[in-house]
Parts: sequence; structure tokens; C-alpha cells
Amino acid sequence: MRKPLHPLTLWIASILLAIGVVALDSAIMALAIVGTVAVFVYLRRDGSPWNMSFALSLRIGGTILAIRTVVGILIGVPIPGRALFTIPILHLPSWMPGIRIGGAVTIERLSSSLHEGVIIAAMIALFGAATSLTSPHRLLRVTPAFIYEIGITLVIATSIFPQLATSIRRIRRAQKLRGMEKAKLGAIALPLLEESLARSLQLAASMDARGYGISRKRSRYRPQQWLFRDSALIAGITVICLAMVVQ
Amino acid sequence: MIRFSNVSLLYPHSTKTILEDLSFEIEEGEMVLVMGETGSGKSSLLKLINGLVPHHTGGILAGDISVDGISTRTVKPGALAHLVGIVGQNPLNGFVTDIVEEELAFSMEALNVAPDVMRKRVEEVLDILGLTALRNRSIATLSGGEQQRVAIGTALVMHPKVLVLDEPTSALDPIAAEEVLSVLHRLVHDLSVTVIIAEHRLERVIQFVDRIIYIEGNGETSIGPAEEILQRAELVPPIIRLARALHLNEFRTSVRDVRRQTEEFRLRDYPVTPTRSHSSIPAIVVSEISHSYGRKSALRKASTTIGRGEIVAIMGRNGAGKSTLLHSIVGLHAPDSGSITVNGGDPLALKGGDRRRAIGYVPQEPSDLLFAQSVGAECAQADGDNQLDPGSTWALLNSLVPHISLHTHPNDLSEGQRLALVLSIVLAANPEVLVLDEPTRGLDYRAKNLFTLALKEYATQSNRPVLLATHDVELVAELADRVLFLAEGEIVADGPTLDVLLSSPAFAPQVAKIMSPKPWLTVSDVVTAIGAAE
Repeated sequence: MRKPLHPLTLWIASILLAIGVVALDSAIMALAIVGTVAVFVYLRRDGSPWNMSFALSLRIGGTILAIRTVVGILIGVPIPGRALFTIPILHLPSWMPGIRIGGAVTIERLSSSLHEGVIIAAMIALFGAATSLTSPHRLLRVTPAFIYEIGITLVIATSIFPQLATSIRRIRRAQKLRGMEKAKLGAIALPLLEESLARSLQLAASMDARGYGISRKRSRYRPQQWLFRDSALIAGITVICLAMVVQ
Repeated sequence: MIRFSNVSLLYPHSTKTILEDLSFEIEEGEMVLVMGETGSGKSSLLKLINGLVPHHTGGILAGDISVDGISTRTVKPGALAHLVGIVGQNPLNGFVTDIVEEELAFSMEALNVAPDVMRKRVEEVLDILGLTALRNRSIATLSGGEQQRVAIGTALVMHPKVLVLDEPTSALDPIAAEEVLSVLHRLVHDLSVTVIIAEHRLERVIQFVDRIIYIEGNGETSIGPAEEILQRAELVPPIIRLARALHLNEFRTSVRDVRRQTEEFRLRDYPVTPTRSHSSIPAIVVSEISHSYGRKSALRKASTTIGRGEIVAIMGRNGAGKSTLLHSIVGLHAPDSGSITVNGGDPLALKGGDRRRAIGYVPQEPSDLLFAQSVGAECAQADGDNQLDPGSTWALLNSLVPHISLHTHPNDLSEGQRLALVLSIVLAANPEVLVLDEPTRGLDYRAKNLFTLALKEYATQSNRPVLLATHDVELVAELADRVLFLAEGEIVADGPTLDVLLSSPAFAPQVAKIMSPKPWLTVSDVVTAIGAAE
């Protein structure tokens, strides 16, 4: 097995890249960076359930992009330019000045909406990439002791999500086989809630039984080493980030 | 080592006393089995030992429990972590980290053990449990048996004097179960660890245990040597039922001892009973299907034909492709290559009501199918879905398991009752084919018996096929006509139950092990054969 990078390396790298993307403010560069990161994520995946979070973040990003574009077309200040098509204007009461719903949709307006959407989606994808390569569990192992308590609460809270996704898929599958073609919220929520509750109770009981929280101090088993390649990667990314900020 | 004195346990808002006035002592290096019906309070008893009950669950506890002289009243469960290791029913839910090695170190880190001591103990446990090759693996990717061994490891690193396990083999195939049990056996004998274990599949553990705590469900609890308790218990493994049927004067729990006792029965010759043959009208035809998940191939060119009225069991180790085969047959995913027809139709094309009538499917977690607030509402939903007269599903459920209240919430049912409910809902649609994935997890012998009868009735009455994936050798021996044995995604054996089970020592049921080389799998086989000879 390949030795994993230090968890902090990946998080620092993705934060730096996110800063760069925002500073550069170029949709094409943002897409290029996400593409490169996607290749990196694909190469370094290790088959743990967290690997799915990158794909999930892409989907969330895509949804945000779609909503942002639709809202951008419908609402907003008119940007002059070549009109593509016109939607009828909805007349708003006089106490809402400056907001217009509908009206001419220009190429400029469309592209600025798309542009902002892509930047937001790219940032989400970058954090998704970091999570998919270092599970928060691993990140927790390098956090300083004084935030450990908060850390473990966060880990347990976040570790529910991939498990929820797996459970939802399993329940839907079983119900389809019962001939329930349409997903009903109640029909999924109930078994799901039952399962998550049971699971978190069991986890709490297990941590309790294993002595968690008994000792004030906590020792570290084989602390993760910060290696040269971690420094090298961070240095490289910092240079790219600076280049993007300064242009 | 462990002392219970006059312990009674009661959960608030419950009218039933879980345990009443229970007193016993367990010595160092003893292996004790806790048995009883599902829902009788086995898990509660186990959790009392390290104080998880009532510290973690609530409940009213009377009497006193002490472990190695420490009363569980005075300390939190964590303070006993160095003394009592506990492995829950579903180890995956108890894992905190995601890498094997880190999981093993978790308890020690929490208790501030010095790093060099930690390192040494982790290496030691990896060796004892044969986990060295898995040390860097992500826990989620391990097989069931491996996860179970990791869970035992997380308890062992603390060098506990007591190890408590709740159904450690219920999710495991017979070989993995044997692995886990032999590890426990070694711990008891080499390291004098005291082991308390709860298990339904007594046939797997009975030969290892010294004493039994039998929770009878009506508040009565008895404790004594294994042979003595089994003499009068109601839930007994096949080895004891055999002894009762043959009127042996002593009850033994090891195959070797009973073999010696029954030598005279094997010496005689018996008329060969003709095997039941089945109609050859094919119901499910699987031809050359392959399926893979990413790079890992789960099924390789599997072909088989299942006839009407046949009960076929799919066996094999964890991860051999059993569930994948079932999922392909019920039409959950399209196979990469090959084709499947169920009564001439393509299972993938089925929708809604047609699907219910064509294939009845009971998933691994039966509760996935339940979502209503009460048993009555579930039954009414099934009646409505299948245009049945109101009350039909309820009547079906009643014939399987009587005395369930219509107002009970499905979550409050015992495992056996829940399975019966799901089975009645599925059977209400009167499906042409019945498919079950691992149906008997967590069922006691009584519930399993009822379940076996229901399936046999379904198969013979309407001449329809039943297909089930299971690790339960005894169930297969009682129920199945034919066994498909899968290994690494290939069907390596496909034949009558008798032939397949007898050909593999690991998968042979208890009666077959005792009566080998006679071709008998169950107690009733033996009784019929001997009866016919006399």
C-alpha cells in the first residue's frame, strides 16, 4: 500500500487552491484545477467509503451551479448586452425597488451567472477532494489535544453522512423489490432514523466501554510523520496559489 | 472473577422484569454461554458485567455486581476497560477509527498508555489473531470474519481478564465462525481469560463452553454445567436432540463423545431411502452470468436452473458472491454478461404490482421493508397493495406467529416476529418465486422451526421455488432440497443437500459429523432410518 500523505497536507493544499481560485476569478482556470484534482483523487483513492465524497461534492456543486444560473436568469439587475431572449417582466410593488424579475436575458448576464456558479462549485469540489482522500477520522489524529473533544464530536457527526447514503440506497432497493416504485419520504425516513439512532447509541456505548473520556491525558499511537514530500507538495501549491493571487 | 449477587433488572416503562434475583459466580478462565430466546435479556445480562447497563441504557438495578472485586455501581464502564473487554452484536457499529491498527490502539490512547507499550501490545494482538496482513487496511473493506477478529482484538489489547461477546458468529460463515471460536478457546486455555458469550447457534459453541446461564424468559434463570442445563432446556442444539431421540443415558456436548456413545447405531445396515425427486419444470434459469464491482469480479459465468417446488440454499464463505447472485436473480442489477429468466420473464423489467406477484424478496435487514407505525398498519398496507380483503395479511401473520398485538410498533417486535411480519407481507402478494437473503440471523431454535415449516408449506402447497442464501448449516440440512456452493464467484458444487453437505467437513451439520459415514443430516433422518430398520 502506498503511504498516505499527511492529512494536513491535503487540507492545506485544498484551502490554498480554493483561495487561488477565488482570487483569480476565472471559470476556465477553476475548471482546469478541479479537473487536475479529480485525476489526483482518482489515482490516490484507497477504496474507503470516504472516496465517494468527491463525487458527492461534484454533484452538490452542479446543483448549486444550476440553481445559481436559473436564479441569475430570473432575478437581478439588467446587464446590457446582446439579448438572447426575453421573459415577461413581473411587476413588483414600489417598496422593492432595484429588483427585477424577468426581462431581457443577455449573453453577458447568463455568462456572469455561470461564472459565479462555477467558482462556487469549484470550491466545494476542492473540499470534497480533501475529504475523500483523508477521512476526518485521520485528520482528527493530528489535531492538538485541546480541540480533541470537539474534534471527535465533529467526526461522529460527519461520519453519519456516508453511512446514511449507503443506508438510503439499501432501503430504496429493498422497497423497490416490494413493488414500491415511488420513493415516499416517510417510508425511507423511518427505517433510516431507526438505523442511525441504533448505530449512534452503539457507537457511544462502545466508546464508553473502551475507556473513552476516562483519562484526562491522551497518548498517541505512531503519530503521523510530516515527510519531505508533504513540504514539497505544500511549497508547490503555495507557489501556484501566489501566482493566481498576484497574476 | 465475576460475582452477581441478587441482581434484578427492570427497564422503566416496561412491565416485564428482565432479570430477577440472579446470583452466580464465574471463576477465572471459565467459558460461559448465555442462552435464551430472542429478547429474553441476554444482551442486558452481558452489558451488566461492565456496567453499560444501567450506566448507559438506564434501567433499575437491584443487587450488586462485582468484577475482580470492583463493584460496577461505583465506577463508569470506561474505568473497567482494562478489566472487561466487550464485543457487541454488530462490531462495525462500534468502530471509532477507520484503520485496523488505529482501531486497536484507540482504547489505549484514551487511557493514556505509553507509546512504546502500545506499540508492543498492538503487535502482540495482531499476531495472536492473525491480523498482521490486515494492519493498514480500512476496516470498512474487511470481510465479516475479519471485522469480528478486529473487534476481539480491540478488547484484547487492554489485556482484559474478562471478555464478553454478544453473538460473535451470527454474521459469519461456518469456517470464519470456527476461526473466531478457536481463538476464544485458546484465550481461555492459554491466557486464562474468562469468556462470557451469548449465542443462538448453539451447535457452533456448545463444545467449547464449561457452564451455561439459561434465561428462561419467565423471570427464571438457571446456571450450571452445560450437560446439566441442556438436559432440561427447551432450546437445544441438534446434538442434544439426537441424544434425546436415541434415549442416550448421558448428554454430551462434543461430537467425539457422542460418536462413541452411538457406535452401535452406525454398525447396522439400513435400507436406503429413495431421495425425493422434483418436477423438472424450470422456474429460474440462470445462464452464464458474470458480474463485477469495479475491478473486483463477484460472479464468474455462473449457470444453474431451479425447478418448481424446489428449495435451494446458496452457501459459501463471506464475500463468495451469494448476495450478488440473489440480487441478479431478483433483478436489482443487470449482470455484465449472461441472462436470467424467472418463469420466462426478465426480472429487470418487472415493476410495481407485477414485481410483487412475480418475485417475493426478503432482504438481509428485514426491517428495510417496514415503515408503518404499527403491525396493523403494515398489514393493512399489504392488503391494500395486493387488493386483498382487509385482514388477510394479518391472518397470515397469525398463522406464522400468533399473539402479536396489532398496535405493536414493528421496532418493538423480536427478531423472529419481525421476520414473520416481513414474510407475511411478502407472501401476501402470493409471489411466484420466493427469495431470501440470510433470513435466520438472530433467530432462536423455536423461531427457526416455525420459519422452516412456513417455507416448506409455501414450496410444496403451490409448487413454487424458494431460494435462500444462508450460513446456517443446520437450517440448510432441515430445509433445503438442493445446495449451490459458491466460491470466488463460481458455482463449485450444485447437488442434493445430502451430497454437498457431506462432502465438506466444515459445512457438515452436527448430526452428520456424529453419524458419518451414514448419510444422515438431521435428527429426523436418523429417527426415520432407525425406525424403518426395526
